[in-house]
Amino acid sequence: MSEQRVVAVRTDRVWKVFEHDGIAVDAVRDVSLEIQRGEFVVLAGPSGSGKTTLLNLLGGLTAPTRGAVWIDGQELTAMKERQRARLRLERVGFVFQAYNLLPVLTALENAEFSLLLRGVPAEERKRKVQELFQRIGIGGLEDRRPSKLSGGQQQRVAVARAVVGEPALVLADEPTANLDSASSIALLDVMTTLNEDLGTTFVFATHDQRLMERARRLIRLVDGAVESDTRRPSTKGA
Amino acid sequence: MAARPWWRIGWRNLGRNRRRSLITIAALAVGYFSVVLLVGWWDGVVVEMINNGTGILSGQLQVHSAAYLPDRNVYETIGGPDGTDVTAIIAGVTADPAVEGAAPRVYGGGLVSFGNATTAAAFLGIDPELEPRVSRLMDALSSGRPPARGTNEILVGVEMARILGVEPGAEVVVVAPAVDGSLGNDLFVVSGVFTSGLADLDRTFALLPIDALQALMVLDPGRVHEIAAAVPDPWDAPAAATRLHSALGATDGALAVESWTDLRPELVEYAQLSQSFQWVLLVIVFGMAIFGVANTMLMATFERRHEFALLLALGAAPRGIVWSVVVEAIALGAIGLLVGAAVTGPVLVWWHNAPPDLSWLVGDFTMAGALVRPVLRVEYPWSMAVQSALALFATAALAALYPAMRAARVPPADTLSGR
Ligand SMILES: Nc1ncnc2c1ncn2[C@@H]1O[C@H](COP(=O)(O)OP(=O)(O)OP(=O)(O)O)[C@@H](O)[C@H]1O
Ligand SMILES: [Mg+2]
Repeated sequence: MSEQRVVAVRTDRVWKVFEHDGIAVDAVRDVSLEIQRGEFVVLAGPSGSGKTTLLNLLGGLTAPTRGAVWIDGQELTAMKERQRARLRLERVGFVFQAYNLLPVLTALENAEFSLLLRGVPAEERKRKVQELFQRIGIGGLEDRRPSKLSGGQQQRVAVARAVVGEPALVLADEPTANLDSASSIALLDVMTTLNEDLGTTFVFATHDQRLMERARRLIRLVDGAVESDTRRPSTKGA
Repeated sequence: MAARPWWRIGWRNLGRNRRRSLITIAALAVGYFSVVLLVGWWDGVVVEMINNGTGILSGQLQVHSAAYLPDRNVYETIGGPDGTDVTAIIAGVTADPAVEGAAPRVYGGGLVSFGNATTAAAFLGIDPELEPRVSRLMDALSSGRPPARGTNEILVGVEMARILGVEPGAEVVVVAPAVDGSLGNDLFVVSGVFTSGLADLDRTFALLPIDALQALMVLDPGRVHEIAAAVPDPWDAPAAATRLHSALGATDGALAVESWTDLRPELVEYAQLSQSFQWVLLVIVFGMAIFGVANTMLMATFERRHEFALLLALGAAPRGIVWSVVVEAIALGAIGLLVGAAVTGPVLVWWHNAPPDLSWLVGDFTMAGALVRPVLRVEYPWSMAVQSALALFATAALAALYPAMRAARVPPADTLSGR
């Protein structure tokens, strides 16, 4: 690899412990990871293995109990919530399993929301979102409210919102969980293409076997700990 | 950070649960309507009370010899024993811009007899031409007509007429102590009977032409006890009294110029009491509204907690979320105000110009010694209309604050994973 390696996110022996009826649950245990810019990482593991918790740690949405997290080189533990919010807004894109879109905003307004909060001028926002919509196959749906979009279309709008601001990384937590298999594969294709064409960094949590098979880097979690971290050559065209 | 997206979200959220929004809007509109209308009606009652308390007999402003009140000593005529140029004083009083008319008066006391019946009476000598510009006592006579100048005629109250058993045309004996120490007495013909609705007046008051009463009491034509004046807006009277005090040269201390606020402090107190009552009403109505709006906003924000969590996860500032909720509540307030004002305005105009009469329901009543008709006549409560509008916005914004702050404190990670 000749290209320069830039770390998008790094964790150092990070733990997240929840109190649960007086019992401590180690949702994430002693995870040390490094994800480079441009990687496409699939985070796999059974239910309760800590995928969501790890993603939230990687995105600065929750603070670790122990250990440290760097996003784009900035260490999070010392930050106040306001600073972490700012960091999320500027460096991280999120795609959640559900509740991704505001029902009162159109597809375009949803997709441009982060840009708007960052103060990007209206013209530029619109141009970027429209371009991206075209690229991911939802061109022409800009003015629809989420209730008038299919589940797959809604998730694409969410992907567009996450990607459009060119963040250091995009975290997708089971974005296909509510989709049928065809739409799931299509959404994965969209993200893979964006990863390859635009170099967007993706960390994608799933327990869908077919999606795992297409991963170039697969991190398996068991009981909050990394069980395996394997890389494969590109599966593109395979 | 731009506030506009929050405005947009707040405004559009308003339309999500139309029925709930409409009910809240209706509650605010009804609150506004009730406060403004009740206050308008209460203002109307106070105005009527002041008008009746001052307009039936006393007038809104009076000029006396400084020593006349409070004893109403019959010797203390304006200008002393030599009297004064009555026409000149009346002209002077009428010259004030706030004054509409003025009339001279002589007061006396004595007895009225008819046959075997005798009753004590307060005599009021009036100028039959000038008096109607100041008082309404002779406006609605239950029978007969006012006494005419230059005649021995007397107008008695309905209760006195009953006690004496007289009707217009009856000849009564009037006895009154004169200022020279003698006892004046003469025959008078009852010209008419008045009904003021005020028991004291109807029982004890009798009106005589001023010249006849002066003759009976041995007072020269230049000797009067009082110049009473009408000030159409009663609240202008204190300022007019101050102006007239210097305009009439009363600064030497011989003359006293008093407005009804000096003469009838209980009416002023009543007006002030009703002012504080209005504030209590405002606080109660909008205090209740606060809980209504807060309830709506709590339900709405609870339903949308996933959306707030999403926005916070994306990196939105909590104050943006607070703002979107407050905007929604203020929009509710604004629409409530528009609807409220649209309903209140026409009713105000209607009840100002053609007040529904409720006397069939409750009859007349007196308040602070003044007669009040039970009509729903409203004054235009401008200041209260504005204050209620502000109170309505404050209510909406205040009620939204707690739900808004809760919305902004939603824990994003847990909420989004459905915890
Ligand atoms: N806020 C919390 N409070 C208490 N326990 C929690 C909390 N969040 C997660 N946990 C616990 O931490 C563990 C990991 O949960 P997590 O949601 O990260 O798993 P997951 O791999 O995303 O599971 P799934 O596939 O069901 O989404 C679970 O045992 C869960 O109960
Ligand atoms: Mg999960």
